[in-house]
Amino acid sequence: MESSTSGSVVPHLPGMEVSELSKNTYEVYIGPAHPGSGHMRIIVEVDGDIMVRVDPDIGFVHRTMEKLAEGRDWIKNIPLFERMAILDACNITLPYVEAVEKLLGTEPPERARYLRTLLCEINRIASHLYGMGIFGVFLGHSTLYMWAFGDREVFIDLAEQMSGARLTHSYPVFGGVRRDIPDDFPEGARKATRYMRNRLNEYAKIFLNNPNIRSRLENVGVMSKNLATELGIVGPNLRASGVRYDVRLNEPYEAYGELEFEIPVFEEGDSLARAWARVEEIRQSLNIIDKVVDWLEKHPRENFMHEKFWKTAPKLYKDVYTGQIDYAGKYRVKLMPLFASLKVPPGKAFARVEAGRGEMVYYVESDGKDVPYRVRVVSPSFRNVIAFKYLMPGHRLMDLPAIYGSFDYFPPEWDR
Amino acid sequence: MITWYLVYRIIVDDIIFYPPIYQFLIIPGLIAALLVALFIIWFERKAAAFVQMRYGPREIAPRIGGAIQLVADLTRYALQEIIIPETVDVLPYILSPIIMIILALLPLEAVPLTSIRTYFPIPPDYSLLIAVALSTLSPLFVVLMSWASNNKFAVVGGIRESFIITAYELIAVLGFLSAAAMTQSFNIVNIVNIQMSGKWLGLLNPIALLAVFIAVLMSTSGFPFEIPDSESELVAGPYTEYTGLLYGLNMGGGYIKRWVFSILIALVFLGGWAPYKPVPGIITGYFIPSLIVSIKALIVMAIMSFLRSVYGRYRVDQALGIAWEILIPLTLAAFGLGLAEAYFGII
Amino acid sequence: MPAKVALKRNPKKNPLGRVFVGNIGALAIGLKYFLDPNRITLLYPHEYIKLRQGYRGFIVLIQDKCISCSSCARICPARAMKMLSVKVFDKRLKKEMVKKFPVINYNRCIFCGYCVDVCPTEALYHVPYHDLVYMNMQDMILSLEDFQKEPENVSAKEGIPVRYVFDEKRGLVKIKQEEEKKEISQPVEQTKQQESTKQQTNNPEPKSVNKGGVNQ
Ligand code: SF4
Ligand code: SF4
Repeated sequence: MESSTSGSVVPHLPGMEVSELSKNTYEVYIGPAHPGSGHMRIIVEVDGDIMVRVDPDIGFVHRTMEKLAEGRDWIKNIPLFERMAILDACNITLPYVEAVEKLLGTEPPERARYLRTLLCEINRIASHLYGMGIFGVFLGHSTLYMWAFGDREVFIDLAEQMSGARLTHSYPVFGGVRRDIPDDFPEGARKATRYMRNRLNEYAKIFLNNPNIRSRLENVGVMSKNLATELGIVGPNLRASGVRYDVRLNEPYEAYGELEFEIPVFEEGDSLARAWARVEEIRQSLNIIDKVVDWLEKHPRENFMHEKFWKTAPKLYKDVYTGQIDYAGKYRVKLMPLFASLKVPPGKAFARVEAGRGEMVYYVESDGKDVPYRVRVVSPSFRNVIAFKYLMPGHRLMDLPAIYGSFDYFPPEWDR
Repeated sequence: MITWYLVYRIIVDDIIFYPPIYQFLIIPGLIAALLVALFIIWFERKAAAFVQMRYGPREIAPRIGGAIQLVADLTRYALQEIIIPETVDVLPYILSPIIMIILALLPLEAVPLTSIRTYFPIPPDYSLLIAVALSTLSPLFVVLMSWASNNKFAVVGGIRESFIITAYELIAVLGFLSAAAMTQSFNIVNIVNIQMSGKWLGLLNPIALLAVFIAVLMSTSGFPFEIPDSESELVAGPYTEYTGLLYGLNMGGGYIKRWVFSILIALVFLGGWAPYKPVPGIITGYFIPSLIVSIKALIVMAIMSFLRSVYGRYRVDQALGIAWEILIPLTLAAFGLGLAEAYFGII
Repeated sequence: MPAKVALKRNPKKNPLGRVFVGNIGALAIGLKYFLDPNRITLLYPHEYIKLRQGYRGFIVLIQDKCISCSSCARICPARAMKMLSVKVFDKRLKKEMVKKFPVINYNRCIFCGYCVDVCPTEALYHVPYHDLVYMNMQDMILSLEDFQKEPENVSAKEGIPVRYVFDEKRGLVKIKQEEEKKEISQPVEQTKQQESTKQQTNNPEPKSVNKGGVNQ
């Protein structure tokens, strides 16, 4: 067995990639334990200060979620999939719930659809703010970091009022949602959206229009329309390159088909456009929240769970919903005991939503048992990560955080 | 009795207020610099916290707003184990932070802080030139440090440091020299005396002041301008391999460099001890003017600290581009402006 | 009315204006917040958030209501809840018998709240706090007795309760509970306000105060 690495003979082990360095380049390993990498490693080959080869190396937080899902009851997978991106919990689990609903043949009632849309948009804002905060600190702008995380708290608080948990909401369940909004929610939500609109202008002043930051981002990491579609980039990053693709637009789900809102598409495709795309999306999400809250206020509090589940409900369940039991809280939708041993009819289903970072796809296959036969997850960050390899070479080493941050990195999501 | 008095005089006059010792160790040297670091780091954190929806340091002493936070931090640094990695070049690795700190303080030996002849640390005829020349020494040891660390990030950081220093020290030097052009003197005492009438050079030549200000900001690598040790890709740049007290020295080094430059800015552009006229006597002739200069320098530093919460980090080529393409022509213009003002007798 | 696409471009400004306007705008915003800080930090051990009812905090069992149906243990996604067989005296049948009751392992619990939602008799409920300290891992596995007591709210011992409310100008505003009480004690619309706060801070009455705190 040839074991020496001298000369031109390079040993090839299965699953291992060995490449030789040219003489005048320098290899820098950014990650996995690096302040600017997150749970991943980027192998960068620099020639002077210019990156010539960038190799994103993922897999450091792989948790075998798809396999785990095959051994767990249908409903127990919801909290599991949430762990992919807890800051975007509702968006991440919604397509799974939708896919299972397709198999079960249940349609969520109207109010539940609006409630899901509401939490999805709250999550989207929180997730974008998180991404922008990390982006800020990557560029040495600690103020944006603190601001974004501070303002994210507003939306986490809204989500907590809705679902009872700050991050891991487990909010949508098959056939409906788990809670209705509390009485004082609409007022708080309106105040929060008004506040956030003002703040977005201030973000633009201190960060995006700050000449210092602009010069870092403008024309950095330009992704052309062609490259973006070729690589299969999704989410705000794709729309920042001028491609009109958004699941909410192409295949409206939940209540998105009935709401009026804009999908911002930018043409430049550079890091600045990606940052602006997020800001504009937050603005649209605020509009959606306002509209949904109006709708929810106008319509009576009924139809939040599918009839099939609800009609067998004993009186106690209605008492809990209307707040008759003092320690149990109000507007809680009780789960039916049948959820614990739910058997889903055999079949295949596919569902997708537009999560904060892009298109989230689930493919669910059931063979009629109480656990799924197969759940396939395609997460947006996984599809975006390949862009690093093509966008970074040719830039300076200091552009690495500027490009990395503009893609709104989230390793736990792409590793699953 | 007389012997005790003599001992007292010797201690006060010849040791504490002996100008080289006084300036190196007390004001504006080591002790003042430490106090300034204490205040400035606290102020920087507090100012950033105010802008950033936070409280900043608080728990150590809630009554005074956590002002002694740095003492706690320093204690922690001092008690930490100093780990010396096997791969480093031990002697330069240990010595260079120490030498860097000493060299960073050295320019203070050259600046007179009063107009009374007995309290000049060195003859002040070329003091501006000497101070500026000495201030360029300490960055060399940052480069040495990065080389001795034998770490990829450190080496990249060291290279960046040398780029930045070359560009921005030049601007600082040119900016200070434009003051010499205006006053036709390298003597800081002369320069301050000219400003006594209220015509501060910073007001007469704001371009030079701005250029020097930016140059100091960039070359001393304060938080968002720390291109050599930018965290998001280089961990801690030249200081990556340092731990404990040695790391603390490195962190302090940046503040001391900034402090020295701020003293120079206060003297040259902001009128030094200007509204006050030193009269003979240790307190009135030496202590008070040096305090006035220190306070002015402190204000300069506070403004620099505030900028941390507004700006982000420049890319290294952009920073160099700004230096060579914008600031150096600007400084030359400032130099010309100074000459013109001197020629037309505005000063 | 589905969504529609809005084509946008990065805002453009002429270079000179960008340098001046951009810098001055950034500095002005920085200065504005420097002079008028908008702080939302919670000074945690000195203050704690009084969470509203409905928060998914620690879980308490009401043994009398439990019908031993095991639904909670079956739905638990983290396998934190287990059924425990104990001998109890059944009041209705007037005899000793072995019954199953749930116990919880807080090492595993993810506070998803499924168990509370699935219980057919509301025998489980959440307390609206979640900050507890256990001295070791063993203590986190509660016994049936402990599971029936509300855990001690340790942060309430040291801190003062605050509440965050939404605000248009400031996002979230911290309101101390005492200030709130002062507001309420004003005669105007006294009863109405009291009613509304009563609903918000409507905690389940503590069944029994756990004097020794956490099992030691
Ligand atoms: S809250 Fe969730 S994880 Fe915890 S015991 Fe109940 S079902 Fe299990
Ligand atoms: S679900 Fe409720 S009634 Fe059934 S065993 Fe659990 S606690 Fe008891």
